[in-house]
Amino acid sequence: MQLSIILFEILLPILYFGTIWAYAKAFFSGNKLAESIKTLILLTTLLLHLSYITVRTMTFHHPPITSVFEILSLIACTIVLVYVYIEFRTKNSSTGYFILILPFFFQLVSSLFIDEVPNIPLILQSNLLGFHVSSAFLGYAAITISAVYAFLYLMLYHDIKSKQFGIIYKRLPNLETLERMSFTSTVFGFILLTIAIIVGLIWLPRTFGDMAYSDPKLIGTIAIWVIYVAGLSAKKVVGWQGRRIMVFSVLGFAFALVSITLINVFFTGFHKFH
Amino acid sequence: MNLFCTGINHRTAPIEFREKLWFSSEEIRTLLSTLKESSMEECVLTSTCNRTELYYVQRKDHDVSIPVWKLLAQSKDIENIARESHFYNIPSFHAVKHLYSVTTGIDSMIIGDVQILSQIKEAFTMAQETGSTGTLLNRLFTNALHVGKRARTETEIGDGAVSIGYAAAELASKIFNDLAKRSALLIGAGETAKLTAQHLVGRSLGKLFLANRTRTRAEELAHQLHGYVVDFDDFAKHIASVDIIITAIESHQYLLTTEHLRHALKERGNKPLFIIDLGVPRNIDPSINTIDNIFLHDIDALSNIVDHNLAHRKAQIHSVEEIILHELKHFYNWYQSLEVTPTIQQLNEHFEAIRTEEIAKHKHRFAPEHQEEIELLTRRIVNKILHTPIVNLKNGHSEKSGNTMREKVSILRHLFGLDKNGSR
Repeated sequence: MQLSIILFEILLPILYFGTIWAYAKAFFSGNKLAESIKTLILLTTLLLHLSYITVRTMTFHHPPITSVFEILSLIACTIVLVYVYIEFRTKNSSTGYFILILPFFFQLVSSLFIDEVPNIPLILQSNLLGFHVSSAFLGYAAITISAVYAFLYLMLYHDIKSKQFGIIYKRLPNLETLERMSFTSTVFGFILLTIAIIVGLIWLPRTFGDMAYSDPKLIGTIAIWVIYVAGLSAKKVVGWQGRRIMVFSVLGFAFALVSITLINVFFTGFHKFH
Repeated sequence: MNLFCTGINHRTAPIEFREKLWFSSEEIRTLLSTLKESSMEECVLTSTCNRTELYYVQRKDHDVSIPVWKLLAQSKDIENIARESHFYNIPSFHAVKHLYSVTTGIDSMIIGDVQILSQIKEAFTMAQETGSTGTLLNRLFTNALHVGKRARTETEIGDGAVSIGYAAAELASKIFNDLAKRSALLIGAGETAKLTAQHLVGRSLGKLFLANRTRTRAEELAHQLHGYVVDFDDFAKHIASVDIIITAIESHQYLLTTEHLRHALKERGNKPLFIIDLGVPRNIDPSINTIDNIFLHDIDALSNIVDHNLAHRKAQIHSVEEIILHELKHFYNWYQSLEVTPTIQQLNEHFEAIRTEEIAKHKHRFAPEHQEEIELLTRRIVNKILHTPIVNLKNGHSEKSGNTMREKVSILRHLFGLDKNGSR
């Protein structure tokens, strides 16, 4: 088992590199071969990554959330999972390169530094905690993808407005599709974050004696959630469209990124385990 | 190779002459039948707005007193204005290369022209139906169509819009996902505006409204484009409900101002609005482009797209020429294979392969002392079977015209599957 884990850790960054190479080649030079094999490489990589997480969980008897590097690998896998869902739903694969470059770097760092942590707190071996964390990560992965699509939207929007008709204009899908991709990811992320918060708020206090509602990570996550509620309401109730809602998506993600980083670096609470 | 291409195109003849030498389908069929009966073994005539070309294989006994360019001019009764300098006469493999350049679009007036491939296909089909094609032209045109398709799939020779109307429609498709769910308002009825609307309708535009100072002209256009006419004085009422606005009228005042558009955008829930201003002087206040979710493009911007795409297509010519060269080699190999000597050799090898294979299979049934006899006997049988066809091939080669002989060789190669490992 241990040997297969090492093999996975070597293979995954290589496969991710192959995937982004194929997506980049298809996007930037319109290579037909890359175009025809890129999704197949992606699905193979995803399958291998899911197998890696399963094997790792079974071997070490805990979900892979006990170290930063395990978490990085889990984030990489969730981003790919959400991306694959969006690619199949929208039937558009031209934007993959811009998304998949993130999981490549996450998995590369994870594979280089990952190690089994001795003396894992008992709570981190709980599968329900694994569910809470997985849904939170899936949610964050989805809003990351949403922000990437929003960013691509803004790039294409700028090019059309300023009459620049280069590679971005040529290869990206149309503005309406990019907006839909971003919105689908936001909804997906919002639902998963809601699930993570509900599981966290209802079930976890029973497990943690020192559970506190003033926990910085909890407050931060709820603040992010509120921002996304505001964004979704702006679109659905107030009728925001196009550029404005895309800027909101990018800013929402920037807020999430900054707040999570600050909380993890400067604050401590019951939410910090490693 | 006894193949020629005689014709005119946009580089050799002015439009006044090209339009006179244009042949309708019916005229093409009649001319091909006449030429086939009188002087040609095979012929295909292509006629488009920019070129008229006759590809042909002449009979050895044809009348050399009248050159082919004159025959073409005579058939349209324009000998008096036809000049030899209007025509080109391309022989042999140069004609093959020329046809490949035509089907790939690199010889077109607009490089990468997509229509030419279907036009050549149509000409070829017509010739086949008339019975004026044979071994050589069937192979040549099938290959030429294949080369044309290869160029379009393997290079970007046909990519990007190369007309104002197409560029505008392409831009609309970069903003909106499904034009069938969108509507457009055309203000004015000039030629460029009409072509732009036509391209949008061609991309399944949901609804088209038309407004023009002369209502009858708008009604005419609406009839052609399946649109709806609105009063010119009322067009402002519709700007909030449509997604695309095309303006092309003569006016010294802006037709739409920032104020108009801000109001319309609010009314339409801030949904994107694409405005194409084809007017000179411009019909729309250019500062409108600063408003969020409004995309304003004038004729200069669209011309820039066209220029950029044309330059990109020109850059693809080298890659297309590589494909042409590759396919020319294939064609050359195929043509060479139709020579009698290599075919006789391949036929011998083919039968010898069958003989040795069968002997190897059944060798064990015979005693070792009989092996040599079996070898001699089977060799003799094969030689006897092949003797008559080979003698006839050799004799035919000296008697018949080259092309009829090639036809026979082609049939023989097909019957015995000698091209199985060769080219298409």
